[in-house]
Amino acid sequence: MSAAQIAPRRSRGLFSTIGAYLPHPTRWRHVFGYMVAVYRREWIGSVFSGFIEPLVVLAGLGIGLGVLVGDRAAEITGGVSYVTYIAPALMASQAMQFGAGEAAWPILGRIMWVRIYHAMVATPLKPTDIIVGAILFMGGKVAFAAAFFAGVLLVAGIATSPLGALAMVGVSTLTGLAFAAPVTAFSVTQKTDQGFAIIFRLIITPLTFFSGTYFPIESLPSWAQLFSWCTPLAHGVALARGLALGTEIPNAATHVAVLAAWTIGGTVIASILFRRRMLK
Amino acid sequence: MNLSTSNATALIRARGLTKTFGARTAVDAINFDVRDGEFFGFLGPNGAGKTTTMRMIAGVSPRTAGTLEIFGSDPDTNGPHIRGQLGVVHQQETLDQELTVRENLLIFGRFFGIERKEIAERADQLLELFQLSDRAKDQVEPLSGGMKRRLSIARSLINAPRVLMLDEPTTGLDPQARHLLWDALQRLKRSGTTIVLTTHYMDEAEQLCDRLVVMDQAKIVAEGSPRQLIEEHASREVLELRFPEGTSRISKEALEGIGDRYERLAERVIIGCENGEAAHARALEHGLAPESWLVRRSSLEDVFLRLTGRSLDE
Repeated sequence: MSAAQIAPRRSRGLFSTIGAYLPHPTRWRHVFGYMVAVYRREWIGSVFSGFIEPLVVLAGLGIGLGVLVGDRAAEITGGVSYVTYIAPALMASQAMQFGAGEAAWPILGRIMWVRIYHAMVATPLKPTDIIVGAILFMGGKVAFAAAFFAGVLLVAGIATSPLGALAMVGVSTLTGLAFAAPVTAFSVTQKTDQGFAIIFRLIITPLTFFSGTYFPIESLPSWAQLFSWCTPLAHGVALARGLALGTEIPNAATHVAVLAAWTIGGTVIASILFRRRMLK
Repeated sequence: MNLSTSNATALIRARGLTKTFGARTAVDAINFDVRDGEFFGFLGPNGAGKTTTMRMIAGVSPRTAGTLEIFGSDPDTNGPHIRGQLGVVHQQETLDQELTVRENLLIFGRFFGIERKEIAERADQLLELFQLSDRAKDQVEPLSGGMKRRLSIARSLINAPRVLMLDEPTTGLDPQARHLLWDALQRLKRSGTTIVLTTHYMDEAEQLCDRLVVMDQAKIVAEGSPRQLIEEHASREVLELRFPEGTSRISKEALEGIGDRYERLAERVIIGCENGEAAHARALEHGLAPESWLVRRSSLEDVFLRLTGRSLDE
């Protein structure tokens, strides 16, 4: 057949292109179900270990640093003890760590080493369905872990209102998602896990200190404050703390909107990049 | 090349199918039909474009040009629907090591939207068919290579596909595992499943395929049944002469006239002929002194050699 006879491939229309990136209304749940099956054996353990660490930090810093901060604590915290002040923030910051971690190695591994995603894109699942299912599962895992943390806070008397604790679980989940989604977008472009060290050492861990976890964000220079408000954690901390202390939360809707924007934006970009990687 | 025009039973139909990656052309305007119920093969060396062709059929690699119809529709626009009726076995293992053998089937069935009860029944049948029932509750990791490959094929059949696609299914398997797998594939074919396979093993293509295309450097260079291809492109018998010190110093004159044709490889001279014994006698008359020699029937290997001037494992 000569070249002239070969039909050029028709380019997709705009709607068809958008359609390729939209998740199927229900198929993502099969991906969610797959993740549940994989983690069923180990997930209690991983959740437990994931939140034992912040509880230790909470005990150490709350008691130790609490003593050091002493009477000045009231100035910073508005009257509550230092433990009570940092507990909800630690919960949000642990949600960040957990969400980001789940979006790193487990995603890259399924592309590079287990290669199951290669089998999955050969089923009716679209790449977007896989990404949406995987990210929602990360949210579920964060929620489960946050609920455990909230339970400890309730039992220890650090959190007083069950309804407030429930709301904190919601905020932590959203915070976890706001990191899981953009980290997923990063992971799907990687060929080795070396990039994760940069993400965690240079972004995730330092953010804990720049987001109002241990001291009010207002004590930072204004450029650092501006930076912090661009990232999700500061918003998660502000919401969680307000809910825990039962104080009024200025700009609550904005905080939620920023977290949602990171989650949705990250998911869209991850879907596009994942599709580009798997279908070539 | 014999292109059966408008074959009503063609499940897969490609015309001018082309794929380029930047400046490199991986698949260059190929035409083929895969008919309902047949065992169809892509034979060729690594890098010939077989896997890329399989990926385009499976709807995971958008083609650059040409037309491609699978079950009458275009994988570009109807991908999920087409993939729902295909079973795909990748060259590299894609099983989930953290799940058990049976769980791998159960979870995979869900990706096709099949009901749990139906998947469970099918999973047990498939484990039986591929002789994995007694390993159903085991983790995947300790299984042998042959068992993993059988599990991969069982998993790809969980949606009762109309077409099963196998990319180099026996690469890396020991001879016994290969034969077990071949038997399973023959049974599957008899039960009515259309099978498309890529391989660079001649014996595999000869054993399994009803019809095949030979691919080399992104193009299809021949098409037909193994028997047709051998009759058309190779002589009845082959005399192989082995020269461990190399064949480059043997003169053209010494090689001509021994058989119908000859191919000079690095350490072997392959001579196509009617009668191998007689050709050997003539070779000695021509003053050739091979270290060893053998006579065999022509195979697809010789077809490939004839068509490309290279042996497959080069």
